[in-house]
This record gives sequence, C-alpha cells and structure tokens, in this order.
Amino acid sequence: MSISTTELTHAVHSPAEISAAAAKLRQAVSALELSPYEVMEIFDSWAKSLDARELDDLPGIPFLRLWLRRGTLEPIIARELGSNALHGGWTEYGRAKCKAFPLGVVGHWPAGNVEIQPLLSMTCGLLGGNAALVRIPSALVDLTRLLMEKLVESDPGERLTRRIFMAAFDHRRQDLQGAMAQVVDGAMIWGGEEAVLQIRGLPFPHWAKIAVFGPRMSVAAMDAGAWSNPEEQKAWCLRMARDVWQFDQQACSSPQVLFLEKGEGQSTGQFLSCLRRAFETENRAHPRRTIPAALTSEICQARASWLLNDPAHRAVFPPGPDWTLLVGEGSNIPQPTQGKTLTVLEVDDLLKAVSKFDGNVQTLGLGMANPEKEKKLALLAGNKGVDRIVKLGRMHVFVPPWDGVDLIRPMVRMVRHVSSTD
Amino acid sequence: MPLFEDKIDHLLSVPPYVQPPEERHACLLEVLKEELDYACQRHTGYKNYIEQWPGDYRSAARVADLPFLPVRMLKANPPLSFVNEDEIKRTLTSSATTSQTPSRVVLDSPTARRMTKGIVSIVRDFIGPARRPYLVVDTPGFQGSSELGARGAAIQGLQPFASETTHCLTASVQGDLILDRDRLKQFAQDRQDTEVLVYGFTYILWNHLVKPLRADGVRLNLPKARILHSGGWKRLQDQAVEKAVFNEQLAGVFGCSPDQIVDFYGMVESVGVIYPDCSAGNKHGPVFGDVIVRNPLTLEPVAAGEHGIVQVCSVLPTSFPGHLLLTEDMAQVLAYDGCPCGRRGISFRFVGRVPKAELRGCGNIENRRSATS
Repeated sequence: MSISTTELTHAVHSPAEISAAAAKLRQAVSALELSPYEVMEIFDSWAKSLDARELDDLPGIPFLRLWLRRGTLEPIIARELGSNALHGGWTEYGRAKCKAFPLGVVGHWPAGNVEIQPLLSMTCGLLGGNAALVRIPSALVDLTRLLMEKLVESDPGERLTRRIFMAAFDHRRQDLQGAMAQVVDGAMIWGGEEAVLQIRGLPFPHWAKIAVFGPRMSVAAMDAGAWSNPEEQKAWCLRMARDVWQFDQQACSSPQVLFLEKGEGQSTGQFLSCLRRAFETENRAHPRRTIPAALTSEICQARASWLLNDPAHRAVFPPGPDWTLLVGEGSNIPQPTQGKTLTVLEVDDLLKAVSKFDGNVQTLGLGMANPEKEKKLALLAGNKGVDRIVKLGRMHVFVPPWDGVDLIRPMVRMVRHVSSTD
Repeated sequence: MPLFEDKIDHLLSVPPYVQPPEERHACLLEVLKEELDYACQRHTGYKNYIEQWPGDYRSAARVADLPFLPVRMLKANPPLSFVNEDEIKRTLTSSATTSQTPSRVVLDSPTARRMTKGIVSIVRDFIGPARRPYLVVDTPGFQGSSELGARGAAIQGLQPFASETTHCLTASVQGDLILDRDRLKQFAQDRQDTEVLVYGFTYILWNHLVKPLRADGVRLNLPKARILHSGGWKRLQDQAVEKAVFNEQLAGVFGCSPDQIVDFYGMVESVGVIYPDCSAGNKHGPVFGDVIVRNPLTLEPVAAGEHGIVQVCSVLPTSFPGHLLLTEDMAQVLAYDGCPCGRRGISFRFVGRVPKAELRGCGNIENRRSATS
C-alpha cells in the first residue's frame, strides 16, 4: 500500500505528536540500512519525475532536479564519505578503514525564502542514511507537498518515505520547536540571523551535531575583457539575469551587486543596454505571480533614494516593480534591496572591491576574460570570507562545500576501524 | 511667480467634490506637470529621479503615469526642499509611530497659505463654513513653534473654523496629559445650545477624555457638537476599540449623535489635504488632490473593489516634493465615482499599513551588517 501525500505533510499541534513521529522515524532507520546508492537511485528517479510540465513554473525546480541526479550526487558522496561509501563499504585510509554511519533522526529547519530548501536540506540528511524530521515554513507547505507527491511516486516500496516526517506548524510555537529539537540527533539550520539564533538556542541533546547555514549575501564581478566582448556580452547578461531571477533574489547565493571593472576607453553603456534587454527577456519568461506590498515599497524606495541622493547615479527600471538596475561607481556594497534589484557599480580594480568584503559575502559570481586576474581574485575572496567562487549563471547550483562546509558528512558519524588482526 | 499659482488658487476656490472625475484629472494633470517642471529646476537629485523615470512625464496622459516619490524619502535630514532656507516659514514633522525617524517637510509662505485653504475647503464641505467655539482636546503648547508636529498641524488647520479656542488638556512635568475637568466643564456649561467644534487625536480623545469621563459618569450635554478626530487607530489596537464603539461612547460623553463624529485621515507629508469619512463611511479626494490605489504587483491603479498601496496627489505643496507621494498605507477602492454621499470621484477606505518587510531568510544580512558597521 502506498503512502498518501497527506501523510507526508502533517499539521502538528502538540509536542506529543512530534515525539511519536520521531520514535517511528528512529525505528525506520534501525530496521533497514540504506546505502547512499539506494537513496541516490530513488532520488534519480525523483529527479526524472520532476521534469513535468506542471512543475515548470515552480521556483528552483531546475536546481532541485540537477542536485538529485546520479551524475551530481555520486562524486559528492565519494568525496565526502569515501570512495567505497556509495554501496555502504569501508574506505581504506592507510592502515585504517572508515565508514559513514547515520546519526539517526536529523531535524531540518529551512528558511522560508527559498522554496526548495526544505527538500534540499532533507536530501542531505537522507543521503547519510538518516531519517528526516522537517519543519516546513508555513508559506511552503503546498509547494513542498506537491514535490513530495513525486517522491512518493518514485519510492513505491516506501524505503525512503517512511523515513520522512514533514511537520507544519507556526514558527512562533516554541513548545513545538523545543519538542523537535529534543528528539533529533542532528540539525541542519538555515535562515536569517533571528531564526538561526532562536533555533540554536533550543534544547538539543548534548550529542546532537548542528550545522548552521546562516545569513549571507552574494556578489557578481566582471572584468572589462568579459563585459566589453561583443560576442560574449549577451550570454553573460543572460547568465546574470538568471542568477538574479532565481528565488526573487532572496537567497544567500543571489547576487545583489555587479562590479564592472573599467576598461581603458570603453564605456559600459552598451553592456548596460544588453543587461537591460536580458532582464526584460527573463521577466517575460518568468514574470512574478505575486509580490508582498512591503517588497514593492522597498523597491520604490531603493530607486528613489539611489537617484535622489546622488545626481551622478543612474537607473533603469520598468513602471512596475518587476526589476531594477541601479548604476553608479564605487567599491562599497550597498544595503541589498532584493526583489530583482541589482546595483551595478563601476570600479577601477576588482581586487579593490573584493578587498572590502567583510565576511558577509557567500558567493562571488565571476565573468572574467583574464585567467590570471581570476586566480588573484579567488585567492583574495577566499581570504575575505567568500565560500564559493563560481562562473556567472551558476551562482545557485547547489553543490558542496556550501558556506564552506560539506552537506552530507556533517550529519554522519565517520567510524574508524583499525584491524586488530593485521 | 510660477504660472501654476493661479491655477492652484482656482482649484482652491471651487467646491472640492463636485467636478466629474475626467475634468478633475485633466486639471490636476496639467498643474502637476508644471509643478514637476518647477521641482526639477529647484533640486538636482529630484530632477535626476524624474528624468530617469520610465516615460517622460511631459507626455503622460494620466496622473497615474506621473513619477511618484515614496513617502519615506521625506525622512531625509536635512529635509528635501525646493526653497531657500530663508524662505522656510515652518517645518512640519510626522508623529513617526512606526519608525524612529519622523518625516520633515518645509513650508514656505505660499505652501503654508494653501495648506490652510485646502483644509478649510474640505472641512467646510463636511461641517459648513461657520466659525464656532473650538474645543481642542490637547494641550496649548503647539502655538508659535517653527517646528510643528502632526497634532499641532491638525489643530492649527481647523483654526479658521474657530470663533474662540479652548484647550482642555494640560501636560504634567513628566509630559503626561491631564484632563482639565474644570475648564472642560465650564466650556460645556457655557455652550449647551451652541454649535461647537471639537478636535483631538483619536487615541487622545479615547484615553484622556472618553475613558476618564465615562468612568466618572460625566456627560457634557453638547448636543450640537461636531467632533473631528484623526491620527489613526494604531494606538487603540491593543485596547481592541472598534470604530462603532468609539463613536457611540464618544457621542455619549458629549451628548450628541454619533453621526456628528467625523474621522479623518491626514498626513503631514501631504499638507492641506485631509480625507474625512463621508456619510457612507468612505473617503474622497478633493479637486486639488487625488488618491491612486496601486496594485503592488504592477503599480498600476487597481480596479474598483481591489486593495492596493495608496498614493496621494496634491497640487498644494511647492516648497517640498509632496505632490505625488506613494504612502505606506493600504486601501480598498469602493468606486471611481458615484458614492451615495454625492461626492464625485474616487471613494475608498483605508485597510491598514503596508506590512513591515519580513526577515527574508538566508539572504537577509541587514542585522549583521548594521551590527558590525
């Protein structure tokens, strides 16, 4: 008998419901060992089922599909857990052998701003052989349920789905948050400062391993050789637009600023026109369906303050709040507005801009023609706290290390065996 | 003197709610375009904003297509100004209940004069032109200051309807408001058969007049009182005071009918234009101003029946950029014409504030940045 999707997303009202769910999950983990390969097989099938027309417009689906593919996960498992880990084997390290064992029940506290984050976080724990107790942010319940339906279809034997409990409750229910913390052996916590601090303060068992993915922002940068190349310009602009569009620019991997290194005798005017066309194209392909009035207000405010406060500033935007390009000079990162509001800043030297990063920048998306300069930038960015340096257009590709840490390994125990018989 | 002065004066001289919407919009559009020309000559930053607006305002066919300014821009310090410092006669400040920083708007003589005329034109349409004894449910401390808050501006705005003025609150050394019962009693005793005008901020009327007088069972016996109040309901929300209850109990204390109470919305940033409730419970824009309710998704005006973000328009201010302001209030448009009260043009109701932007997950670094900066 297959599990109905309503059994995968639960409106939880009492701590007792969470305790009971955790007990079942623990039982499921101890009853059957699942190798990463077996989990991956189900995920690969799930990825294929997500390639459906009715899911096309859902935010982040291409990234989820890419993440779940065998081709993505296999090398990650080998790198994080060991070359023999795929089938649950021991991997030799000199005279010792190591094997990953699950922690047990892993709790997931995703942020509410990235639609697919409950599922991304959940999959990291499941690949380690754990069960998943996931709190779904209220706004994401329907979407999560829709995507979980596809997982149910891909797992007719319920090997994986019996290890998942999706709990929907108001984030202000401290009693339920506390009950969830008490029953887990590990936790993956994502979100803004307030949410992260609140969840980290919950009464986790002393043995629980906790991985925190806190608030960050991201930045893009291009050298003159890249942005001024007429043959490449359009492609770069489309990549930039796609990175801005995903998750309505609210993810930690969303670029808020694009630094353009000045080129001798070259004007950025043509590039900005091209970027404008790319934003218009992306907007036609992926228009917003809805927007909070507060975000509209913030976007209007950002446009006005940018232009009023400095007559040298420029901006390009349509009559609606769809997208905004704020154009100026300088190497300081302005306060992000989000909602597809990209600040484009011309700088004399990209190294100077990156040298001002303060640890808040998670991802540096690059469009470079000069490989030597890129090497220097990558080294400097790493020193300045950046955790991901990727090509423009790939800023949201979910591949570890993320925020400087692995995604599967933090939720397993690496057991070391040195044989007594050798 | 700019050309639009005469046109504004003309709009202030005609009845505020009788023009058909199309006529009104044509007049407003013409004057607002001239005011934008003028504003661009007076402020380089504002000119930069206007010039980069998508679409040239000079060829705009609707008031809704003109470039608007988010009201938060008026929190700038020093205030955004189109006049020289020596021309500033007064600075108005908002009450800043939802943020720590108040808006500050500068008035030169022409704007201050129009502000008074605008309020008179609107209020006259609701309570008639006569001067009458004016009871201010506040302290007399506002007069004569060059900086005037929202309460002071509202009190002063109604002064042209006063034959004499009595303030019935005093302030303690700590700044607490105290009801001067003797003065209030005297005012009521002397004017039982007279039309009187009463004004107070909504929460002040409730907390410092209605509640203490009801507790003591006092009734003022002023059946001809016309009571105006403004300032919003935010501070009464935690007391769960419904409008109907407020009206009933306020009317009970004064001994008048609840339909003699008028709640009006006004904002310091849109001087001279206030929005009283009509007999149908709706609000209207006067001939020298208008209201546009914009869809947050498109920023286009909403259809009748829909909710959106309120933009206020007014031709009155020329000393600061207050003519086209996107507020942080939400409203529902009831109709674009044909209110049962007979007033022409848009009828709308406020439905609350634009919710504060929520923390936006892993991409939100506001706290960390501000904590480390």
